[in-house]
Amino acid sequence: MLNIEGLLVHFPYDYIYPEQYSYMLELKRTLDAKGHGVLEMPSGTGKTISLLSLIVAYQKVFPLEVSKLIYCSRTVPEIEKVVEELRKLMEYYSKQTGESNNFLALALSSRKNLCIHPELMHANIVVYSYHYLLDPKIADLVSKELTKKSVVVFDEAHNIDNVCIDSMSVNISRRTLDRCQTNVETLQNTIQKIKETDATKLKMEYRRLVEGLKEANVARETDVYLSNPVLPDEILQEAVPGTIRTAEHFVGFLKRFLEYLKSRLRVHHVVQESTPQFLKDIFDKVCIDRKPLRFCAERLRSLLRTLEIADIADFSAVTLISNFATLVSTYSQGFTIIIEPFEDRTPTIANPVLHFSCMDPSIAIKPVFQRFQSVIITSGTLSPLDIYPRILDFRPVTMASFTMTLARTCLCPLIVGRGNDQVALSSKFETREDFAVIRNYGSLLQEMSAIVPDGIVAFFTSYMYMENIVAAWYEQGILENIQRNKLIFIETPDAAETSMALEKYQEACENGRGAILLSVARGKVSEGIDFVHHFGRAVIMFGVPYVYTQSRILKARLEYLRDQFQIRENDFLTFDAMRHAAQCVGRVIRGKTDYGLMIFADKRYARADKRGKLPRWIQEHISDGSLNLTVDEAVQLSKHFLRQMAQPFRQEDQLGLSLLTLEQLESEEMLKKISQIAHQT
Amino acid sequence: MDEEPERTKRWEGGYERTWEVLKEDESGSLKATVEEILFQSKRKRVTESHGQVRLGMMRHLHLVVDCSRSMEDQDLKPNRLTASLKLIETFVEEYFDQNPISQLGIITTKNKRAEKLTDLAGNPKKHIVALKKAVDTVCLGEPSLYNSLHLAIQTLKHMPGHTSREILVILSSLTTCDPANICELIKTLKSLKVRVSVIGLSAEVRVCTVLTRETGGSYHVILDESHFKELLMLHVKPPPASSSSECSLIRMGFPQHIIASLTDQEAKPSFSMSHLDSSSGADLSLGGYFCPQCHAKYTELPVECKVCGLTLVSAPHLARSFHHLFPLQAFTESPTEQLQKDRFCQACQGELKDKSIFSCPSCCSVFCVECDLFIHDSLHCCPC
Repeated sequence: MLNIEGLLVHFPYDYIYPEQYSYMLELKRTLDAKGHGVLEMPSGTGKTISLLSLIVAYQKVFPLEVSKLIYCSRTVPEIEKVVEELRKLMEYYSKQTGESNNFLALALSSRKNLCIHPELMHANIVVYSYHYLLDPKIADLVSKELTKKSVVVFDEAHNIDNVCIDSMSVNISRRTLDRCQTNVETLQNTIQKIKETDATKLKMEYRRLVEGLKEANVARETDVYLSNPVLPDEILQEAVPGTIRTAEHFVGFLKRFLEYLKSRLRVHHVVQESTPQFLKDIFDKVCIDRKPLRFCAERLRSLLRTLEIADIADFSAVTLISNFATLVSTYSQGFTIIIEPFEDRTPTIANPVLHFSCMDPSIAIKPVFQRFQSVIITSGTLSPLDIYPRILDFRPVTMASFTMTLARTCLCPLIVGRGNDQVALSSKFETREDFAVIRNYGSLLQEMSAIVPDGIVAFFTSYMYMENIVAAWYEQGILENIQRNKLIFIETPDAAETSMALEKYQEACENGRGAILLSVARGKVSEGIDFVHHFGRAVIMFGVPYVYTQSRILKARLEYLRDQFQIRENDFLTFDAMRHAAQCVGRVIRGKTDYGLMIFADKRYARADKRGKLPRWIQEHISDGSLNLTVDEAVQLSKHFLRQMAQPFRQEDQLGLSLLTLEQLESEEMLKKISQIAHQT
Repeated sequence: MDEEPERTKRWEGGYERTWEVLKEDESGSLKATVEEILFQSKRKRVTESHGQVRLGMMRHLHLVVDCSRSMEDQDLKPNRLTASLKLIETFVEEYFDQNPISQLGIITTKNKRAEKLTDLAGNPKKHIVALKKAVDTVCLGEPSLYNSLHLAIQTLKHMPGHTSREILVILSSLTTCDPANICELIKTLKSLKVRVSVIGLSAEVRVCTVLTRETGGSYHVILDESHFKELLMLHVKPPPASSSSECSLIRMGFPQHIIASLTDQEAKPSFSMSHLDSSSGADLSLGGYFCPQCHAKYTELPVECKVCGLTLVSAPHLARSFHHLFPLQAFTESPTEQLQKDRFCQACQGELKDKSIFSCPSCCSVFCVECDLFIHDSLHCCPC
C-alpha cells in the first residue's frame, strides 16, 4: 500500500523501483489536472504495473472523476502482458480488501477474438490495440460509445504518429480496383434480387436517407459518441444528396468513380496533386461533385446494412474506395495524392499505385484528445519529448522523462567512430560503397563475435544495405571468420522465414553455440522482439537508420511539417532516425538484472544533435571517453564490461538503491532522491 | 567519496586507478598503503570459510582445461594457456595437500574433441609433469563442452556413492561445438550427482550458468590473474556433501611401508599393481606399500586396491583431511591500541606492529596477521 500524494495505491509487489514511484507521482498529477501527459520510462522498469495500479486506485477513490481506463498497446503479446499484470493486480486487490472483485476488465486482441457485446460499455478497464481507437474504420465499431471520463493510455507510443498516418492513408492499386469492380457487380445483383423480392426494404432505406443522418447528429451533440474523422460534423447536418439516394443510382455512381480511378492509374509518369486539384479534375472529367463523394462512405454502409450482407470482409475493396472518396472530398489540407506508375526499384515493371497519403497525424488522433479527459502517451523511448505534442497537435500538462536507477551500470553504450586504420565509419550515402568502411564494419562484428557471449543482434539501416554489406563480407572472407565464433542468422522481409531464423537463433544462444542475428532497423525484429539476457548481450547499430529520403510520400510529409508545424526537415529526419536507433538498441536491456552492450557504429552518433536525441536513460551512460572509439578500444572496453557484469549480482545488492521496500521508500532521503528521477521538459 | 557503501563493488568503478589509492607517508615511502591492500586481500580468504557442514572429503575431481584457439588471447600474460596451466599446477599441489585422500584427473578439449591428459589418480607428480608438458600444446579450433563432460562422466560414474564426483571446467572460449543437445547431458549429470563448476576466462555464457545451476556447482568469471587464482583456490576446499549422498562406514586399509635394501637377500623386486594398466612407468622396485588384505603392492598412496577394492591410505592423510570438518574459528580482529598487555604475538613472539591484532575466540591469545594466516591455512589448530 503506497501513499502517493494522499492517494492510497495498492501495489502487488513487495519491492518497488524508485522510478516507478516517481512515475506514479507524475501520472497522478496528470489525472488531477484532467490533462494529457507524455511520459518516457525505460523498458523493464515496470511501467505497465505502475500505470495500472495507479489508475485503478484512482478509479476506486474517485469513481466520478475517472470511470474507465482504456489501455492501448501495439501487439498481441504486449496486450497479453498487460492482461497478465492486471490479473495479478486484481488478485492482490481481492486478497487485501477481502471482498470479491467488482471490477470488470476486458481485452480485445485480434479480430478473431473481437467482441462487441454491450458489456463493453460497462467495463472499467479495456485493453486493446491502437487501431480500435485510431483507425476510423474500426473505431466506429468498437470505441464510439466510450465515456468521456476515461483515461486513455497509449503504451509503446513512440511510433504513434505513423500509426495515425497509416490509419488515414489509402493505397489503391490496380488489384484493388479489380476487386472493387467485382464488389460493385455483386452489389448490383443483390439489389436486383432484393428489388424483385422485397422492394419495401429499399424504400424504407430511401426514406431514412431523406430524413438525413439526424440520429447520429443528435447522438454526437449529446456526447454519446466518439466523433469519427471520416465522418465530419458538417455531413451530419445534411441529408444524403439526391444523386446517390437510391441504391441503383449509388451503384452507378460508384461505377463512374471506379472508371475514373482506372483512367487515373493509366499514367506513365509520376503525378502529384493536392486534394482540391483532384476534386476539380474529377468534376471536369466525369462530372462527379464534391458533395456526393463526401457521403460515399456513409451511403455504402447504409446500403450494406440494408442488403443484409453478413460478411463485410468481402467488400473491403469497395469500402476502401468509398472511404477514400469521403476523405478526399472532406479534407483540403493535410493530404496529398501521388500516383506512381512503377516502383522506384523496378522501373521496368508497371505497377501503378495511387497513394492517398495523410501527412498530418493530428487528424486521426484529434477526436481522441478532444473527447477523453486524460490521454497518456508513454514508451521507453520518446525522446525528444517536445516533438510529440508538436506533431500530434495537443497540449500536455506533464512531460517527463525518467531515468533508470541502477545498482550496477548494466548498459554500456559505445560509439565506434573509426576503424583500426582510422577510417571514419559511417553509413552515409557518399561512403556507402566505400570498401574500407565495409571492411571495418566487418572487423567490428568479427571482433565482437569473439568476445561477446551468446547472442549478438546487429541492425542495418535497410535490407538493401544489409544485402550489399553481407555480400562484400562474404567475398572478403569475413563471414567465414565470424562463423568460427558464432552462427549467423538473417532477417528477411518474409515473416515466416524470419520467425524460423529467430527460433534457431534462440536455440543457438541457449546451448552455448552463440549466434548473430542480422536484422534491419524498422523491421519486425527491431520493433516487437525482446532479447532478454543471453539472447542479446550486445547490439550493434551499423549506421544511422535514416528513413529512405527519396520517397515522394516522405518528401511531401516533410514539406507539410515545415509549412504547418515549423519543424525543419533535418530535425524531423534525425528525430525519426534516432527513435528507431533507440528502439533497436533498447531491445537488449529488458530489466535491471539484464545487461548488454550498445554499440553505435557510426561517427555521426557522437555529434550532439544525434546524441541529444537519445533517451536520457541511455544518454547519461555515454561518457565523453566513449564518443569516438576505434574498434580495438571498443573491444577492450567491452571485455572489461562483460567481465564486470559476470560477477555475482544478487537482489540484496539492489535493495535500498534501485529496489526499495516500503520503509526505504518512505524515508526522507529517498523521497528527495526520487524527486530527481523525473526530468520535466 | 565513500558515502554509499556500494561504491566498493568492483563493477561500480569504471577503471580502477590503483595508483591513486597509493599515498606516501611522511618519509615519502609507499610501503604503508601497499601493505594495507595486501593485508585486506589476505584477510578476505580466511574470513570466508563456512561453518560446520558435512563435507565430501573423498573427492574425485575432473579438471577440464580448454585448449581452444581463444586460449591464445594475451589478456593474461604471456597468454591465457600458459598463465592458466601455471595456476592449475599450484592448484593441483594445493588440492592434494588439503585433500590427501582424493583423486584428480585432467581432460583437455580443443578442435571439437576432448582428450584425457591424465587419468583419475591420487599422485600430484604425474599431473604436474603432464601440465608442464601441455604448455607447448597448439591451441586450435573450438572446445567441446559436451565431449569433455561426456568423457569425464565415463570414469566418474563408476566412483562409489559416498565420494564426491566433481568436474571443474576452465573455459576460455565463448562457444562450444557439441555433437548433441547438451541439455540431455546436463540431466544425466544431475542424475549421477556430478557437481560441475565452471571458471570462465572471458564472460558469462548462458549454457554454463544453466549447467552449474542444475548440477549445484559454482560459476565464476575471472577479472584478472589474481582473481583467477582466488577462484581456483575456492575449489581446494571440499564442497558440502549433499544430504542425499550415501553415508556408510568405509573400510580402509593402512598398508605398511616396507623398505627393502638391495643387500637383503629375501627381497624380490616386483611390479606395482597401479602400473598394470598403464604402459608407462612400469618398472620393478623392491619396497612399497602392501595391501593388508591381499598383499598387492603399490608404490604410492592413497589408492584403491586393484585386487580387493580396499581403499588404502596412510594415517597422516586422514589426519590432514580432518580439519575440513572442524575448521578453526576465525580470529577476531581488533585495533592494536586496545591491547593492554605486552604487545607480542603468541606464536612467533614478534612485536605487534600492525594496526590490528587477532585473537582466538576460545583462548584469547593474540596473534599477528602472518601467524593468523599460517594458523588458518596450514596449521588448522590454535597453538595455545
